[in-house]
Amino acid sequence: MKNLYKYPLWLVLLAVLSGNAQAVLKVETTTQDLAAIAKTLGGQYVDVHSLTLGTRDPHFAVAKPSMIRRVYGADLLLIIGADMEIGWLPPLLQSARNSRVQPGNPGYLDLSLTVPLLGKVQGQVSRAMGDIHTKGNPHYWLDPRNGVRMAKVMAERFAQLDPEHAKDYRTNFVTFEKAINTKFVEWRKALHHLNNKPVIAYHTSFVYLADAFRFRVVDEVEPRPGISPSAASLGSLVARIKKEQIDLLIIEPYYDRRSARYLNEQTGIQVSVVPQSVGAQSDIHTYMDLFDSIVKVLKPTGAN
Amino acid sequence: MFYIHHPVLVIAITSGIFLFNPSAIQAATDSDTLQKQLLELRQQMQLQQQDTQMQITALEKRLSETSETSATKLNTTTQGSSLKTGLSGLFTVGGSSVDNDALEGLQAGAHDPNQNGFTVQNVELSIGGTVDTYLDAQANIIFQIDADGETVVELEEAFFTTRSLPWGLQVKGGQYFTEFGRQNKQHPHTWAFVDQPVVLSRFFGGDGLRSQGTRVSWLMPTDWYSEFYLGAQNARGETVTSFLNAPGEDIGGHTLINRDARGSGDLLYSARWLNGMDISDTLSMNLGLSGLWGPNASSTSTETQIYGADLYLKWQAATSQRGFPFAAWHTEALQRRYEAGAPGDSTREILKDRGMFTQVLWGFTPGWIAGLRWETASAEGDTRSDPLRDTRKRLSPNLTWYPSEYSKVRLQYNRDWTEHLADKTADTLWLQVEFSLGSHMAHTF
Repeated sequence: MKNLYKYPLWLVLLAVLSGNAQAVLKVETTTQDLAAIAKTLGGQYVDVHSLTLGTRDPHFAVAKPSMIRRVYGADLLLIIGADMEIGWLPPLLQSARNSRVQPGNPGYLDLSLTVPLLGKVQGQVSRAMGDIHTKGNPHYWLDPRNGVRMAKVMAERFAQLDPEHAKDYRTNFVTFEKAINTKFVEWRKALHHLNNKPVIAYHTSFVYLADAFRFRVVDEVEPRPGISPSAASLGSLVARIKKEQIDLLIIEPYYDRRSARYLNEQTGIQVSVVPQSVGAQSDIHTYMDLFDSIVKVLKPTGAN
Repeated sequence: MFYIHHPVLVIAITSGIFLFNPSAIQAATDSDTLQKQLLELRQQMQLQQQDTQMQITALEKRLSETSETSATKLNTTTQGSSLKTGLSGLFTVGGSSVDNDALEGLQAGAHDPNQNGFTVQNVELSIGGTVDTYLDAQANIIFQIDADGETVVELEEAFFTTRSLPWGLQVKGGQYFTEFGRQNKQHPHTWAFVDQPVVLSRFFGGDGLRSQGTRVSWLMPTDWYSEFYLGAQNARGETVTSFLNAPGEDIGGHTLINRDARGSGDLLYSARWLNGMDISDTLSMNLGLSGLWGPNASSTSTETQIYGADLYLKWQAATSQRGFPFAAWHTEALQRRYEAGAPGDSTREILKDRGMFTQVLWGFTPGWIAGLRWETASAEGDTRSDPLRDTRKRLSPNLTWYPSEYSKVRLQYNRDWTEHLADKTADTLWLQVEFSLGSHMAHTF
């Protein structure tokens, strides 16, 4: 009987606690690109944080204790998927013991399922081929049109988890979509000179960027994905660059530039360091910034 | 496909018309009629052909559509719930300034290379995955070839963990490595050196501390990562050497008796408090304290306590390629209090042992890691002749190359200082090769 009197007090406490928790939607993302889009859509109603830095290769992150704490407290986890986080997300999800963000629940959103993935590997796959992503190439955020696709599903998920602000999320999405579509025309115009141009990439990470801006990635500096170039592989690449008169090499800021410099010395090929993610450079804060920066690097006058 | 079916179709249609239309044969004398019929026939054939082609195209389209959808379905369902299987093999070749008997004393870990020549350290089959909404489970089965060439199969671990209990709780149960310190839980293929630290071989035996039991852990609602583990496990067997161990074994000259586990007081209890935080974007830290309390088989009432502290610091450059460059510092210190001999017994004594290891890893360029480890282990009293309690020191520089995430080659030099060997020092060189097949390995902190 006495316990019954205590019951309302617990209820009040619970209400206060849960009320606080619902004030903002706690969103954890595996990359800064996802965080940037989520922030644009969620505005003041979401608390967004990225588990990894845009200056690093997200595939090689480790499940740090601080990440466990963050995922434990999250309402929504946004991931790139397509095996990008395969090394660290499964142990992280297990340690974080948060049922809300487990696969299959509304708090878990794999954005790779919202876009058409390129480079799906058909037929026999062997690890002798290097880091092959059988589900498709996971660098899909580098196509602004995919950004819109991701944002649409993201906004709907926000609305589902926080129906009170559903309208705001949807309005923000429409604004985002319009802005990207307008900008996309400008970006394409600025990179018009890349049309159908053969380009060498360091890693197989620019296929979506190539698709969006209509250039052709004809070869990679890495002889196989994830495998560092050897003297022999660089030698044959020098021959190819000379023969086919390829004059642009693009590389992410986090890759070692020695082999790119070597190719430049041997063939005169222009090396452009292309930021691959929000946060890759200190001046890239939003998804829009990312493409502004990429365009700045790749447009004819911005050449270095 | 089309070109194979086409002639068959023509023959079938042509012969069909001639067989079931006798009037056509009768009128064959009139060339006009013949030509007219031929034209009709051609037209019929063309129509048939078009029709078949359309049907085939439609079928092919449907076929590709169904295979595509089934592939997508497979993708989405296997995500997160797939069974992960892997096989890793760890092989070493080496040579030492001391003979095999002495080497087995120096390399006391069951998965340490301990032979002049070749050692199959560890071939491990891992199977794990999500059981259902409530549980994850994992089993690790070890295949080993011992010094006599015999193949040994061991159920190293088989346990479940809960997926989403409320209040940050998680329960683990089965056969598993006790969460004591950082190193004990690690499997040989994730070690940073070819062998396990001396002090762990001494306190926990060759296989590391593992047993059957259950533990609860609580992820505390603190701003930083703070987790508290509390466990109870059976105290009996070769994998809990500081506790009940196996009868007939010997610790500090005290022969172990056959002591039964009669009540809850005869279990091994463990506690661990692990804290983790990011000091900056590039520097992260783990700090842990661990304790073990349990009975030992020196008599029917004696007990053992082991305490440990562990520190792990990892720096990773803000701009890093494949996780490189990085530097990591891992240190653990342990001490053991072992009651030997029943109270009132003339040989009764308290055995006090301690040990530590500290190691630095430097990933200086993608795929290359240089390591240096320093270890000491000692005990109170005159323990000079006891290979498991004498004063030991070991310095181990090594160099590891990862051609990919799935293989490694490691060269390690060990300089040993001992009291129990006539030589007092030993120099050993090991070359280790590892492969891992199957599911992607976890990138643990």
